[in-house]
Amino acid sequence: MSIQMFGRSDKKKALLLIGSPRGAKSTSRVLGEALLGRLEAGGMEAAGMTVAAALQSTENQHRMHKAADAADLLVVSFPLYADQLPAPLVQVLELIADRRKGTLPASPAAGPGTQRIMAIVQCGFPETRQNLPAVDIMRLFAKEAGFEWAGALAMGMGGAVAGRPLEKAGGMVRHVVKALDMAAEALLDGREVPAEAAALMGRRLMPTWLYTFMGNRGMKRMAKKHGVLERIAARPYA
Amino acid sequence: MNVVILNGGPGDARGAVCQSIAESVADESRRRGWSVTVFDLDQMAIKPCRGCFACWLKHPGTCAIQDGQESVLRATAAADLQVWITPVAFGGYGPALKRSLDRLIPSILPFFIRVGGEVHHPQRYERRRRFLALGTLPAPDAEAERIFHGLVRRNALNFGNASAGSAVLEERTAKAAMDGRIKEMFESLEEQG
Repeated sequence: MSIQMFGRSDKKKALLLIGSPRGAKSTSRVLGEALLGRLEAGGMEAAGMTVAAALQSTENQHRMHKAADAADLLVVSFPLYADQLPAPLVQVLELIADRRKGTLPASPAAGPGTQRIMAIVQCGFPETRQNLPAVDIMRLFAKEAGFEWAGALAMGMGGAVAGRPLEKAGGMVRHVVKALDMAAEALLDGREVPAEAAALMGRRLMPTWLYTFMGNRGMKRMAKKHGVLERIAARPYA
Repeated sequence: MNVVILNGGPGDARGAVCQSIAESVADESRRRGWSVTVFDLDQMAIKPCRGCFACWLKHPGTCAIQDGQESVLRATAAADLQVWITPVAFGGYGPALKRSLDRLIPSILPFFIRVGGEVHHPQRYERRRRFLALGTLPAPDAEAERIFHGLVRRNALNFGNASAGSAVLEERTAKAAMDGRIKEMFESLEEQG
């Protein structure tokens, strides 16, 4: 997905912003599109873009602003980078906030009266709580930029999904699927993401020991494949 | 003592405040006889992390993107103290500092270990990390400050349970008050060892 724009329908509109630099290959896209698909099935018009595409040119930034102005609901899906949002996503949020606060010359086009925003955040660590500063940042962005906060879905063990479609990730993601169903139903109803959906999303996909064992083994296997296993702990700047 | 200052101030009035803080930090460090390296990140055109993990799995410890971040990686690997300076963006770090921090991934190892009851990555370099994070806001904002301090605590865990301190300064803080606050933070960090 690079940039998809809304058509001219009268339907309520949902815009997905994908904050992962891995774009099409990312777990953020998988989770964001899974929710977007449910919103579309529920009668909303859907569009989406990656943050990287939005920042690629001035023209793309205008398209992002236009889509954000028209959206009734923004869904921001991203991975945890250094305990918060990836840098390009921070940049995009600053651009959107500045424009909505009138700091930038172009003011938002008249869009829906109340615009809502929700976040999907996932990290490679087992503990969902490691995502909490990022959720707080998204909530504060909503307040500063004049969006109504519609809640968040946060999960750990994102490495277990690894960019695969949820239907190919097996039974371990059944709670994730259920959480997305519940969140979509609430959002379509004009409600916040229910606490029960957030709790389901945050459930561990497998025991921590198994996740870390598989993660460590997978890293060694890939390092071996690339011929760097002996150098994996190298200190080039020591 | 090697001090590395990562100044994430942008090229506007907020950046001028960050610059002033960076100068205060550098002055205080030199007064103590410490060596100082300053990176004005916004002027370095550091590209964002691509999430390719080549720094773990293809050429361990070095980034696939060749730009100014390489000198930041080299300096931070040898630093006893890092000082991060940034305008506070929704409680977090601004884009210039964040771009550089995202690309410190080569400084950690891909494996999982337990730190403070949670799973984190081990550090690639043995040198124990210490850092101060200094944020600026145009006016007091309790919520933004709470998030900022919480974020720094999480970063400290992910930096191998590093000693860390954080402060949020109002942009209009007088120079003398700013100098005093920075001196206090240095003393507190020294007490932590």
